[in-house]
Amino acid sequence: MFNDLRIRLRSFFRKATAEAELKDELRFHLDSEIEKYKRTGMSDEEAKRCARLAFGGEEQVKQDCRDARGTRMVETVIQDLHYGLRSMRKNPGFFAIASLTLALGIGASIAVFSLVNAILLKPLPYPNAGQVVMVWRQGPLAGIGDMPFSPGEYSILARSATTFQNLGAFKKDSFNLTGVGDAELLEGVRVTAGFFPTLGVTPGLGRTFTEKEDQAGREHVVVLSNRLWRSRFGADPGIVGKTVHLNGSSYSVIGVMPPSFLFPNQEGIPPILDLPRETQLWVPLALPANPRGANELGVIGQLKPGGSLAGVEQDLKIFEAVRERQIPQEKGWSSRAVPLMRQTASDARLPLLLLLGAVSVVLLVACANVAGLTLNRSLGRHRELTLRGALGAVRSRIVQQLMTESLILAFIGGGLGILLAEVSLLVVRHFASGAIPHLHETGLDLRVIAFAAGVTLATGLLFGLAPAMGATRMNMAEALKAGGQRSGGSSTAPKMRNALIIVQVAMAMVLVIAAGLLVRTFYSMLRADSGFDATRVVTFELPLPAPKYADTARMADLYRQVLLRLQSIPSVRGAGFASVVPMGGAPDGTVIRMPEHPPANSSEKPFANYAFISPGYFAAIGAPLLRGRDVNDADTLNAVPVTIINAAMARKFFPGEDPIGKQVGVGLTRIPLRTIVGVVADTKQASLREQSDPEMFVPAMQNEIKTWPSMQTMQFAVRTKIDDASIAESVRQAVHTVDSDLPVAKFSTLTTLVDISMTADRFSVILVGALGALALILASVGMYGVISYSVLQRMPEIGLRMALGAKRSQIFAMILSNGGRLAIAGVAIGLIAGLAATRLMARFLYGVQPTDPFTFAAVSFLLILVALLACYLPARRAMKLDPMIVLRYE
Amino acid sequence: MTDPHIDLPQGTLDLLILRTLALEPQHGWAISERVQQISSDVLRIQQGSLYPALHRLERRGWIKAAWGTSENNRRAKYYELTRSGKKQLEVETESWRKLTVAVAQILESM
Repeated sequence: MFNDLRIRLRSFFRKATAEAELKDELRFHLDSEIEKYKRTGMSDEEAKRCARLAFGGEEQVKQDCRDARGTRMVETVIQDLHYGLRSMRKNPGFFAIASLTLALGIGASIAVFSLVNAILLKPLPYPNAGQVVMVWRQGPLAGIGDMPFSPGEYSILARSATTFQNLGAFKKDSFNLTGVGDAELLEGVRVTAGFFPTLGVTPGLGRTFTEKEDQAGREHVVVLSNRLWRSRFGADPGIVGKTVHLNGSSYSVIGVMPPSFLFPNQEGIPPILDLPRETQLWVPLALPANPRGANELGVIGQLKPGGSLAGVEQDLKIFEAVRERQIPQEKGWSSRAVPLMRQTASDARLPLLLLLGAVSVVLLVACANVAGLTLNRSLGRHRELTLRGALGAVRSRIVQQLMTESLILAFIGGGLGILLAEVSLLVVRHFASGAIPHLHETGLDLRVIAFAAGVTLATGLLFGLAPAMGATRMNMAEALKAGGQRSGGSSTAPKMRNALIIVQVAMAMVLVIAAGLLVRTFYSMLRADSGFDATRVVTFELPLPAPKYADTARMADLYRQVLLRLQSIPSVRGAGFASVVPMGGAPDGTVIRMPEHPPANSSEKPFANYAFISPGYFAAIGAPLLRGRDVNDADTLNAVPVTIINAAMARKFFPGEDPIGKQVGVGLTRIPLRTIVGVVADTKQASLREQSDPEMFVPAMQNEIKTWPSMQTMQFAVRTKIDDASIAESVRQAVHTVDSDLPVAKFSTLTTLVDISMTADRFSVILVGALGALALILASVGMYGVISYSVLQRMPEIGLRMALGAKRSQIFAMILSNGGRLAIAGVAIGLIAGLAATRLMARFLYGVQPTDPFTFAAVSFLLILVALLACYLPARRAMKLDPMIVLRYE
Repeated sequence: MTDPHIDLPQGTLDLLILRTLALEPQHGWAISERVQQISSDVLRIQQGSLYPALHRLERRGWIKAAWGTSENNRRAKYYELTRSGKKQLEVETESWRKLTVAVAQILESM
C-alpha cells in the first residue's frame, strides 16, 4: 500500500527522471536484442528491424508502463482540475451563483450540525458521564411524571442499592454571601459526599468533600464554582483554606471547580426538581441518620464497571420493596433511571431534530438548484462535448471531467459554507443564549469539519452526477448531424430539468408550510389567555436567611411589612406576593382531600398545586377573581382557614356546582380543612402553551405549620401606575428599611419573564422561518434560471409563431403557463409531502392543527405566486422579441 | 502452419517473472531470454507486455529495481525479488499446481 503510493507519487512528481529511466531501460532491451540478432549473422539494418518487430510499438509499451506505474490517474485528475478552473474563469456568473447557492445550503447544514454536535453528541464534561444515571421516583397518580426523592427515601436507596459504584444526592439552596463587597444572594446546591465521586470530576484547586464533612455540625466547608471564584474572589490562587460568610455562618473554602463543571443546573431537568440556573457553590448536605423532609432531592448514581440499566432497574425494584416495608402507607410507587446524557439533552432534542430535518431539505433544494444550473451549462457545452466524443473521448472520461468540475464547485461552496456557518452561529449564540443548553460549546471541532467535508462531497456527487449523465447521454451521429444548430441536447435533459424544478418547489413548499405552522403557533401563544396582565408589573424574589427567620410566623410578618412598604411607594398601584409569580418557576404540589367529594377508590388520590399568597396579589398580577372574594388581612391564624382555588380546580373537582363554601385540605388529616372563598382565573405558570393544573392558594398569614421550607422564599409582584424607571431602587429601599441584610433577587419585569419563557419557541420560529425563506428563494432562482434558459432555446420557435401572427400577449401567457404548470405540479407534490411531514411536528404546535387548511392554502398560493414572479421576467423578454431579428439570426 | 511458440495464458506472466527472479536478480531482456531458454523455446514472452508487467510488480512491492552494470558493461535496470515477492511466488506456484492438477484430472476423466 505504502509502496504503491510511493511509486505513484514518484512517477508523478519526478516525472522527468522516471521518463528518462524508462527510456534507458527499453533502449537497453532493444540494443541487447539487436546484438542477439547480429550474433546470428544478420546485418546491422536487418537486426534492428527484427528487434523492433519483436518489441512492438515502443510508444505503446511506454504508455502501458506508465499506466502500470499508476501515473495516469493522477495526471488526468490534474488535467481535469486545470480544465475545470479555466472553464470557471470563463463563466464567472454561473460559478458565482452556483457556489453561493451551495455555500448557503452547506453553511446552514454545518451550523445546524454543530448545534447537534454540541448538544446531543458531545459527551458531558465529566469523566464518568457515560456511566452516570439520574434516578427518579414515579407516584401512583398518572400524569405527574418524575418526582425527586425525599431524604428518607434516599437513605433507604443508599443502604439497599448494590449496582452503584457511587451514589449522590443534591438539592438547591440559596446562600447570602456577606463580608466580600455587597451582600449577594448566591444560588448553590447542598450535595452528599458521593456527589463528586459519582461524576468523577476533580476540582481545579483544592479538594471536594469527605464523608466526615457530610455530617451535621461539620458541614461548614464550601467548594466554589470557577465563575464565582473569578468574579468575587479575583481568582485568588490561595483561596483554599480561607473563610467566607454564608447565611451569617463562616465556611472554609476547600476547593474550586474547573470552568466546565456546571452540574447541576436546570438543563433538561423537569421543574419539579428545583435547581439553580447556574450553580455557584457546593456545600455538604449533611443528612441526619433518620432524615425527614419533602421530595426535593435529585439523585445520581455511577454504575459499577460492566453494570447495565437493566441491572439498575432490578436494584430499584428491590429498593421499592424495602421502602414499602418501612413506609407502608405509600403504595404503588416505582423508580426509574435515566442516563445523565439523555436527561440533560432531552429538552433540546426535539427542536434540534426539527431543525435537522429542515436544513436537510434546504440542502436538497440547493443541490437540485445547482444540478439544474449545471445541466443548463452542460447543454450549452453540447457542441464541445460532442466534439470530444467524436475525437475519441470515452463517455466515462467526459463524465469524470464534468464530475471534477462539480466537485471543485462543491468544495468552494463548502469552504464558503464553513464561513457562513461560523457567522450564523455567532448570530444564533447572540439571540438564543440561555434557550439551549451547551450552546456556548458550539464551534468547529474535528467532528464538525468531518461532517462538512462529507456533506460537501455528497452534494458534489448529488448535483454533479445527474447532469453529467444527462448531458453525455447522446447519440453522436444525431448530434453531429444537428451540427451548428442551437437546439439539441438529449431528450432526457429537459425532462430532468423540469423534474428538478418540481422537486425544488415541492421541498420548499414543505418547509414553508412547516414555518407557517410555527408562526401560527407563536401567534396563538401570544394571543393565548395567560390569565394575568404583564404590563407595568415588576417581580422579584425575597429569600430569607434560615437562622435569622426560622418559624413561619416570623417569615409571614416580615413579608407583610415589606408589602406595606411597597404599597406606600407613590407610583405603585398594587403589590402582593406568592410562592411563585407567573413564569417564576414551578409551583409545589400536594395530595388533597375533599370531604364532600371522596375519591371513588382509596388508591386514587386527588392532586393539586399549592401556593401561598398575600392579599392583593391577584390584583397586582391582574388575574381576575371569577367568584367570591380575595383573601384579606382578617384571614389570620385566629380566623376560619380559607383558600382560593383556580378555575381549573373548580372545573375538575367541583363540576357543575358552586365551589364557594366547600371544604378542601392537604392530604395530612391533622391539618384542618379550609373553606373555599373565591375562584380565580387560571394563570399560566411556566409557559404560555401549558394547560393549567388545579391549584389552591392559601393566605401566607394563615399557615398553621411552624416550619415550612417553601415559606423561606417568596416572589413579589408590584404593579405601577405609570412607567417608573426608578422602581427598582424604590423596591430595594423598601426592602432594606425592613431588614438591611436582605438581598433582592431576580429583579425583572413580568414582560421579560414571559419573553424568556418563549425563547425556545421564538428560536424555532426564526430558524425554521429563515430556512423556509432560503428554500423559497433558492427554488425561485432555480425556476427563473430554467424558464429563461428555455426561452433562450425556443427563440426561433417564438419568432416563427410571432411571424405567423401570434399576439405578444399569447406568447407571454405561453411562457407563464409553462412555468405555472411546473409550479402547480411542485405544489401538488408539496401538499402531499407536507401532510405527511407536518404530522411529525404536532408536538411543536399550539393552537393550530398540523393540517391547518389556512396555512396549506396560503402557502400554496404564495408558492405559485413566487413561481409566476420568477417566470415574469423571461416571459416579458420573450414577448418583446423582434421576430425579424430572431429569424434572420437563424 | 505449426508455430512452435505458444502464447502465455492469462496471469502466468507474473508467475514466470517471479520464478525467474527467484534465482538471481536480472534485467528485463535477460528475463525474457531465460524464460524462452528454459522452456526450450516453447514459451515466448511478448516483449511489449514484459515491461508493463515488471513495473506493475514493482508497484505492488513484489520486486524492487536497482541500476547496475550488464555483462557487456552497459547500464541496465536489474530487478530483484523482495520478501513479499517471495511469499507471493509461493502462493502463486501453489495455486498454479492446483490448477494444473485439476485441469489434468478433468481432461483425463473424459
